[in-house]
Order: sequence, then structure tokens, then C-alpha cells
Amino acid sequence: MGKIESSCIIDDDPIAIYGIKKSMKEIDFCDTIVVYKNGQDAIDGLNNMVAEGIALPSIILLDLNMPIMDGWEFLDDFIKIPNNNTKAVTIYIISSSIDPRDVIKAQDYSLVSNYILKPIKSDDLLKLLSDGSNN
Amino acid sequence: MNTLTRTITIEEAPIAIATLDNNLCFINCSNPWQQEFISPDNEIIGKSFFDVVPSTPRLFRSVLENSFSIDDNIVEEQKHIMPDGSNKWYQWSIKPWKEIDGTIGGLIITCTNITKIKRAKDLLIAAENVAKMGGWDLDMITNTIHWSRITKEIHEVPLDYVPCLETGINFYKEGEHREKIIELIQKAITKGEEWDTELQIVTAKGKELWVRAKGMPEFVNGKCVRLYGIFQDIDKKKKAEIKNAQIKERLDLATEVANIGIWEYNLHKDELEWNDEMFPLFGVKRKDFKGNFESWKATVHPDDLERCLQEFDMAVSGIKDFKTQFRIVHPDGTIKHIKANAGIFKDDEGKIIKMVGTNWDITEVVNTQLKLNKSEESFKGSFKSSAVGMALVAKDGSWMDVNDNLCLSLGYSRKELLQLSFQDITHPEDLEKDLSQLQMLLDGKVNSYQLEKRYFHKKGTIVYVVLTVTAVKDIEGNISHFISQVVDITAKIEAQKKSEEFLELTKSQNNSLLNFAHIVSHNLRSHSSNLSMLSNYLTEEQGVSEKREIEAMIVNASESLNETVAHLNEVVQISTEAEGQLQAVCLNEIVKNVEKNISALLQQKKVECQISIDQSIKVKGIHAYLDSVLLNLFTNSVKYSSPNRIPKISIQAIKSGKFIILNFRDNGLGINLERHGKKLFGMYKTFHQHEDSKGIGLFITKNQIEAMNGKIEVESIVDKGTLFKITLVAA
Repeated sequence: MGKIESSCIIDDDPIAIYGIKKSMKEIDFCDTIVVYKNGQDAIDGLNNMVAEGIALPSIILLDLNMPIMDGWEFLDDFIKIPNNNTKAVTIYIISSSIDPRDVIKAQDYSLVSNYILKPIKSDDLLKLLSDGSNN
Repeated sequence: MNTLTRTITIEEAPIAIATLDNNLCFINCSNPWQQEFISPDNEIIGKSFFDVVPSTPRLFRSVLENSFSIDDNIVEEQKHIMPDGSNKWYQWSIKPWKEIDGTIGGLIITCTNITKIKRAKDLLIAAENVAKMGGWDLDMITNTIHWSRITKEIHEVPLDYVPCLETGINFYKEGEHREKIIELIQKAITKGEEWDTELQIVTAKGKELWVRAKGMPEFVNGKCVRLYGIFQDIDKKKKAEIKNAQIKERLDLATEVANIGIWEYNLHKDELEWNDEMFPLFGVKRKDFKGNFESWKATVHPDDLERCLQEFDMAVSGIKDFKTQFRIVHPDGTIKHIKANAGIFKDDEGKIIKMVGTNWDITEVVNTQLKLNKSEESFKGSFKSSAVGMALVAKDGSWMDVNDNLCLSLGYSRKELLQLSFQDITHPEDLEKDLSQLQMLLDGKVNSYQLEKRYFHKKGTIVYVVLTVTAVKDIEGNISHFISQVVDITAKIEAQKKSEEFLELTKSQNNSLLNFAHIVSHNLRSHSSNLSMLSNYLTEEQGVSEKREIEAMIVNASESLNETVAHLNEVVQISTEAEGQLQAVCLNEIVKNVEKNISALLQQKKVECQISIDQSIKVKGIHAYLDSVLLNLFTNSVKYSSPNRIPKISIQAIKSGKFIILNFRDNGLGINLERHGKKLFGMYKTFHQHEDSKGIGLFITKNQIEAMNGKIEVESIVDKGTLFKITLVAA
């Protein structure tokens, strides 16, 4: 699989978002990018998409440290979204934390495909696409 | 008168004899007759028989009248009542005499005064009756036996019973009794020996009786012609004797088995009698025993002799019973302890004539008592000087005795402690487990128990001990009291608690250091990764406007980095500065001061403040940290107040042990603790959609409070309010 239709970035750091968007453009990662500033915004937005019958983004890049609702809480709430095609969604954690406890915790979530350390580079995104096509 | 060939007149006869004519008038009489019935000067001849012999019973008159026709009439016993009222008994022999022509001319009468014999006989019969003594008589020639009435009664045969020698012997109980009587009779017949023995007979009615049988033989020409004797019912006496003998035998046996010596001392004769047990008891040989007071005195231990003699004298003079205990020395030198009791016997005049007493060996008891005393002494010694606390505790838990060490541990004097029970000074949380163990002990399920428990020192501090309780039982096996050993481990426990506290502190410090390291690495990395990414873009980017945008972002990122470093620095300073700077701070003043500093903000937001902190409450803290903590809490409450109500803040402080708890309560938006509780005090955590939220305030607050050895907890209900509970160390 090459380019995907839509992806989602959940991160409170505008510089990080800028970097990811820039890398995505470089490799023509997807058609549309949805950005949420924290977990709560993301849950609300995704719930709306389901309610309006819009397909969920097939890849979500999720930061851990965020105000109001962090990445972990988002994962707990995400599986509760009703009538969704969440199984078609692949979630990657993007974090600057090299704390092993975070890495191990991420492995406990079956929803999470991988843990990618910031900064995100275009090579990292290409790898995501090829992983997706292998699946 | 040819019958009287020689002229011997009747008057000269040596017996009382008289001749009467047909009219029963005296023809003549002998001198004894005259003497018997009438004074010598009174003329008797020609007088009627009834005038001479007084008070002749009517019956006798007819006997006399009948005697004319009977050849030889004998009246064995005839009672005559004399004119003076006395009784006389006579034996009469009456015979008619004939004239030459053969006609009866009158009566010849002889008379024997048998009054004395009769009386003796009556007496004998009376004696027989009283003594239940009968007589018997065996004529060996005719082989007839005569039994007296009593003898018959003893044999329970009818009065007309006629015994013979064989039937007589057959009354004796078959076996040894019958064999014995046969042997005795044979010896009497052949050797002339008398007998006097006690044997059993079986009466005609089948009753077994003890009798005394006495027999004597009478010999004529070397041949036994007669056996006679007496026969007496001695059943009651004999049975009593047998019973006595049995009792004596039993008593002898008992005294022998119990090793009780019995002695009897006659004071007048100075005679001392000992029973068999006395000799081995005193180690004296019977042949060496002189049987006087001296022989007893010689056995008594010299040290006890004087006292014993005094006690003896007191007993004899009736001052005090002879109940004592003394030592004796056996000839071989061994010393025995003797217990002695005695009673006194008095004669009719109340004089003491003898003493009877018992002696028994109590050496073993005395020695055991001595050993017991010694072990009790040594227990008392170790009790008093023991290095651990010891107590004798009654079954109800009251102290019976306590030693110095226990007093020292608990801070009470001995007197004070003895008025308390262990329940009084036991920590309430430990009482139940002690009592339940004690119950097991009382129920006999265990013999002792051990537990760690807490007492209260007189000063109110806690004393930690290891308690061992052992039950003491009396002779019957019932629990009489307990021995408690109390090892004071307070110092050890306090040291342990201190090291545990220290360990806890180190652990938490290590934890917070680790957390801090991760916070640092994460927060710094996020900035550094941004910076490296942006600088990469900057070198690659060609467009001018693009470049400018990136440059602006780099400035932003580096400022953020600076800010983060400043925050982290602050935290590091909190942790490193606090040590050694703690001082007593008046809490009320701090709170009031902060309130004053932000009064403008509070007024602007119309916040109602209610502060009630006792002026005396002081905490161990750092002025600047407390300022910062309170400022943060105040501004948080204002920042997250509910737009729907007037903001209210109430602040109280209460003392709890060695801590002060400061309650900071508001009626603001509240926090969903279920969700955010864990990271509430984390760095850069925000929970409200608020522009000013930086997620640093509570993180710093927590670090500052912990630096002052305190802690902060939170209770909150969304849209109701929040309570921050800050625990600080009281100064």
C-alpha cells in the first residue's frame, strides 16, 4: 500500500506538529491530515466523524504527554467509541520519552502498533507505509 | 411299846421330832423341836399342832390329815409366815404310827428348818437369772444329766426337756467347738482335770451362741462318778470382745502401715509403753528399751530437748496440749523429724495419771519443705534482681508482685503498679490478643504463651515488650496465678522504626530522584528534538519566508527550553536547599500574610475567605516555601473557581499528634480524581481548558511540602469543590 487517504496527529507541541506535517508532505504520506491538540479534543473529533459516517483516519500518531487528556487516557477512551471501524485504525505512539516504563506500557496496548521516538523523520513515515502494506 | 426296846425317849433325839395323837395334839417332842417352835418353859404336850406351829397354811392342814393314810409323806418345802412377819421354810417328813392292835394312833413328824438353805438356793437362782448362768450335773453311774432352768433357756429347749450326755455334746457347734468339749470331758473323766472354756453352741432354735462352760469331775475310788459345772451365755460379751479384737487388729495394722508409733506413759509409776512401730521409728532395739521417761528423753535431739520438756510440762499441767514436732537422733546418728500428739488421762480426782500419744516420721515432709523454701528463696532472689521485668499476676489480671525492672520499664513505683491490673496499662489494640491467649491458658489448652505487645508508660509513651506468661498450678492442678516475664524491647523497636522510616525516606527520595531524572530527560528531549529537527529544516529549506518561519520556531523552542531548565532548577533547589533550613513558623501569620498579598485579586473575583487557625499552631517549615504553597493554592482556587457561584475559600488547621493538618477547601470546579488523581501533582500536567494552565504549580507545591517532611493529599468532587489536605510537622 502506498499513500493513505487520511491520517491523524494528536500532539500539543506545535513545533512537533509542524515537523510531522512537513515530513508527511515530503513523501506525500496522505491526502488529509487531522490534528488534535490533546486526547480529549481527539476523542470528541473522532466521535463526531463516526456520528457523521466519515471513515476514521487509517493511521493515528499519538503523543503521550498532553494536557487535559494524555495519550494513555486517549487509548482507554478510543476503544469505547461506538459503531466504529477502529480495527482498521493503526495507532503509533510518538514521544520524546525514553523512559523504559513508557515503552513497556505501550506494548500492553494491543491497539498500539509501534513506539516511535521524536523527532519524527520522513524515513519513519515511509516505514509506516511499508508496514501497513505488509499487513 | 415293844417297839421301843430301849428306853430312849423322843425328847433326846438330835433332830426336831414330835409325835401327835389322832387329834393332831402333841404327845411328846424332842428338844430341838421345842427349841424351834416354842420357848423351853412353855408346855407343849397336849396342845394342838396348829397352836404350836404358827401360821400353818391351809394346804398343810390337809396334808397332815391325809398323812394318816399315807405311809411316808414328805413335804420338801413349806413356807410359814411367822407372827413377827418373817418367813421360815421347813421340810416336813410325816409318818403315821400304829397302836399294838394295829390301829393308827397318830403321826410322827420330823421337821428341818431349811430357811437358810432355801434362801441360799433362791439367791443362786436369782444369780443364775441375772448372770444367765445355768448349772448342770452329770451322773456318770446312771448316765443322766440334769440341766438347770437357765441352762435349758440358754439351749432354747422346753423346760421339760430331758438331755443326755450325747445330746448335750451335740449342742456344741460342729467342728473345733464340739471336738474341744469332747476332749475336755475326756480329760476330766480320765485325768480329773477341770475345765473352764468359751465355746459356741447351736441352740435348739438354730441360734449360734457363745457360752462359758465350766466343768468339774468328782472322783470316788479313783473313778469319775459325776461331772458338774456351770453354763453361761456370754454371747454379747464375747461378740463385743471379738469386735474389739478386730478393731484393735485393724488399728494395729493401720498404725503399722502408717508407721505410726503409739506410746503410753504412766506418770506415777514412770512407766513408758511403746507399740511395735515405735522401735524402728526411734531406731531403738526392744531389748535396750528401759520403758521409762528417760528412754524417750535419750532419743531427742539435744537442741530440741529443752523445748520438748517444757511442752511436756505444759501438757501435764494442762496449759497446752502436747502437739509438737521434734528431732530425734538414731543410735547410728541419722536425724529424723517426728511429729507428736498426745492426750492426757485423769483419775476420778482430776489428777493426771497417764498420757497416750502418737508419733510419726515427717522427715521427708520437712526435707521437702526445706527444699521448697530454698527454691522459693532462689526464685524470690532471681525475681527481685532479674534483668527482665517479672510479675506474679492473679487470675483476674491484677499484679500480685512486680520486680524493680518492670517498675523501671513502666515508670510506675511498685506501690502504684500493684494497684493496677495489666489490663489498665495495656495498649487497647493489644488487649484482645493478650486476653484471648490468657483464656487459652486458663482453659488449660496451653501451658504458656508469648507475644509482642505494648504497654503505656506512666508518662503515656508506648513501651514495647515481649511478654511470656506461664501458669502456676497448685497441688490439685488448678491454676493459682501466672508468672509474667516482660522483656522491654522499646529501644530496639524505636531503632527499628527509625531505620524503617529512614529506609522509607530513602526509598521515596530515590523514587523522586528517578522520577525527576525521567522528567528531566523527557522535558529536555522534547525541546532538543524540536531544535534539532528545526535546525535540519533550516539548512535544507530554500524559501525565505519558510526560513523565517522556522527561525521563529527555533526561538520559541529555545525559550521553552530555557523555561523548562529554570523550572527544573527550581525543583532541584527545593530538594537540596530545604535540609537544615527548617524552623518553627506560625501558620496563621503565613496564611494571613499571603491572603493580604493577593487581596486585590481576591477582591476582584469577590472571593469569600474564612481563615481559622489557632495563633499557637506552629509548624516546622521554610517561610518562603509555605508562602509559595499557599500562594499557589489561593491562585489555583481563584483560577479554577466556578463561574456559577461566589467563590469561597475556607482554611483550617488542626493538631493531630505530632502533626498539623491544614485543610484548604474551595467550592470551585473540582478535579476528576478518578481520571487525573495519579498525575495531579506531576510536572506539566494540566486538567482544565485554561490558558494559564502550565502544569507546574502543584508539582512545585508537592516538592516544597515534601522538602519540609510533609505531604499533600486531595479530595475533590467535580463542580463542587476541592479540598487540599496538607500535613506538616508540628514545631
